[in-house]
Amino acid sequence: MSLLRVRDLRKTFGDRVAVDGVSFQVARGESFGLLGPNGAGKTTTIGMIVGALRPDAGTVTVDGEDDPTRPSLRLRIGVAPQALALYQDLTAEENLAFFGSLYGLSGATLQERVRWALAFAGLEERRRDLARTFSGGMQRRLNLVCGLLHDPPLILLDEPTVGVDPQSRNAIFESIEALKRDGRTIVYTTHYMEEAERLCDRVAIMDHGRILALDTVAGLVRDHGGKPRVVIEFPERPATLAKAGGTWEDGQWRVETDRPEEVLLQAVNAGQPLRHVAIDRANLEAVFLHLTGRSLRD
Amino acid sequence: MKAIWALAAKDLRLLLRDRADLFWILGFPIVMALFFGSISGGGGPRAALPIAVVDQDASPMTQSIVDRLRSSEGLKVREAPLDSARNLVRRGDLVAYVLFPAGTGASFGFGGDSTQSVEIGVDPRRSAEREYLRGFVTAALFQSIQGSFGASGGGRDQVRASLDQLRENPDIAPEARERQGTMLRALESFMVALDSTRTDTATGGTDGEAAGPNIRVVEVTEDDSGPRSAYEVTFPSSIAWALIGVCMSFAVSLVQERMTGTFLRLRLAPIGRATILAGKGLACALAAAVAVTIVLCLGVFVFGVRISNPPLLAAAIGASAFCFTGVMMVVSVLGKTPPSVAGAGWGIMLLLSMTGGGMIPLVAMPAWMQAVSNYSLVRHAIVAVEGAVWRGFGWGEALPPLGILIGAGILGMAVGSRLLRTDRA
Ligand SMILES: Nc1ncnc2c1ncn2[C@@H]1O[C@H](COP(=O)(O)OP(=O)(O)OP(=O)(O)O)[C@@H](O)[C@H]1O
Ligand SMILES: [Mg+2]
Repeated sequence: MSLLRVRDLRKTFGDRVAVDGVSFQVARGESFGLLGPNGAGKTTTIGMIVGALRPDAGTVTVDGEDDPTRPSLRLRIGVAPQALALYQDLTAEENLAFFGSLYGLSGATLQERVRWALAFAGLEERRRDLARTFSGGMQRRLNLVCGLLHDPPLILLDEPTVGVDPQSRNAIFESIEALKRDGRTIVYTTHYMEEAERLCDRVAIMDHGRILALDTVAGLVRDHGGKPRVVIEFPERPATLAKAGGTWEDGQWRVETDRPEEVLLQAVNAGQPLRHVAIDRANLEAVFLHLTGRSLRD
Repeated sequence: MKAIWALAAKDLRLLLRDRADLFWILGFPIVMALFFGSISGGGGPRAALPIAVVDQDASPMTQSIVDRLRSSEGLKVREAPLDSARNLVRRGDLVAYVLFPAGTGASFGFGGDSTQSVEIGVDPRRSAEREYLRGFVTAALFQSIQGSFGASGGGRDQVRASLDQLRENPDIAPEARERQGTMLRALESFMVALDSTRTDTATGGTDGEAAGPNIRVVEVTEDDSGPRSAYEVTFPSSIAWALIGVCMSFAVSLVQERMTGTFLRLRLAPIGRATILAGKGLACALAAAVAVTIVLCLGVFVFGVRISNPPLLAAAIGASAFCFTGVMMVVSVLGKTPPSVAGAGWGIMLLLSMTGGGMIPLVAMPAWMQAVSNYSLVRHAIVAVEGAVWRGFGWGEALPPLGILIGAGILGMAVGSRLLRTDRA
């Protein structure tokens, strides 16, 4: 049974349509990715799911209940907003203790959860420092754990790695993978396709407020990524390959094929040294390009 | 409830870490108290002083004095019984009352009771106005006596009649007859002289004060002693600044939270909108109460300010803190960014303070501003605190300012929380 069900969500700001009929379901324990470029409507969708924004149309159902503003439901939802939401003049520990107390935690339980969160974010040594003294990556990590103190089963992470150096990003990523291993249900928005590929069981490709395709990464690649592409560079263009198909560019032979091994065999049999050989398997980037005609980073 | 405390504690902790905010809440009010305390006593251009006259004599003489006071542009005169006149002065609604006790008119005649005196009861805060007022009353007295004894008045006839009587009365000892005769003749020639030098000084100067009839000036407070020092006046006034500082600091922190996203986290927590607002309000009210208390404590322990009614003071501080928490909620929705809220907020606050006596003493204000000051919450906060410090208010007198403060607080909270968007956009 799905923990989160989103049906036909719609939201406009003035006459700008931000979310235009989005539907999906996320099963318990699943990691679900919303992948899309800037302005695709990811944050707006998350806002409606957690009850920060009122949908113009459509419904959100969490755990069988359909009013995410109900306190009992809010206790089961954890959010890391895209915009850093921290008190800069409180220490890491104070931020955590404060947000924890809003979720009814107190005393030893609260202390224990704060300790867990500091360890989770790798901020134990800086726990007594004001948030404003933290690097961008540390603030991101703190922003992430501030939403997890009450140990919610449903976690929504809105671009938790944005603007972070690769090392910090990896640390954040490993934390999230740990959450996934612990059986949390995760909704993850990003415009980094590698993140979606690495973490998400299923991914929805979003653009202009709509979901263009939704499937497992393998399924998306299979259906929308096109065939694997073999790229081989020869010193000279072999005569034997004149009728073999594909294209020639800069002395490179490029062939899209479901059977790359056969293409390789043809190349080897051409009797020339191979300067460069590559098999490019389709990825989400290719899927996005195929679906929209644009690159994700545009 | 736990969440409200958590919210309030968070805000207070943040406040303590913001040195600039602390300065506006504590440093600035104290500086203002010391500054005005040390320079007080200066005058300035004045509006008509509101006073009451209490005419217990109701003689033609006192009636004519009252008429003269009425006709002078520098005064706004109303008649009232002594009790209510005293209360009005004590509450700060009037600058002074002028009392003509029974027998005043006769005492200006001959052989009258010279110990009978006109009493001016002034608000000790308006000490700068005291001599000014004494001048008015003195001038009015002189002019009335002059009018009565001058050619047109009955005074000269009375003197002549007295002289005739003196001559014809056989029972009077020769020395006494001689003495009184000399005096009456001198008086007669004095009145002739008066007549010829008569000038119109109806709008009064302060000349002639030293030679005036017996005028007694008393200060109107419970124990008739008034503030012992200017600091007893300036410390209560400076609480206005403390209240404004707290109010602004919290209003700005509220927009700041809305902008930075921490407010989003509060909204996503399993607490209601009422809880969020209550937490903010509690922190604001506590900070206001503490700031006012600190400012007053400095006044009490270092500058000798006395507090005549501690429970009333507590009520006044509580009501003021509550009121300005409501103001804070309204101010916080005046703009969408901290600078716009701070700008609009300080504008309103300066107006409230200026018209409420936080900057210019009420007496030095033009008349229209004095009228406006009744609408300034700052004024009511100051009056309530002063009532407990040295004005000697009872609960009955304190009720109107306290009521206004609490009412305005409730109104502000209602309006502010309605406008503050905590629900979903
Ligand atoms: N509060 C708002 N007022 C007006 N327009 C808005 C508002 N929030 C979002 N939008 C618009 O809605 C569209 C979707 O924005 P949204 O923030 O959901 O995109 P996103 O996918 O999260 O983008 P990003 O990757 O940049 O975070 C954008 O065109 C944006 O300009
Ligand atoms: Mg976004």
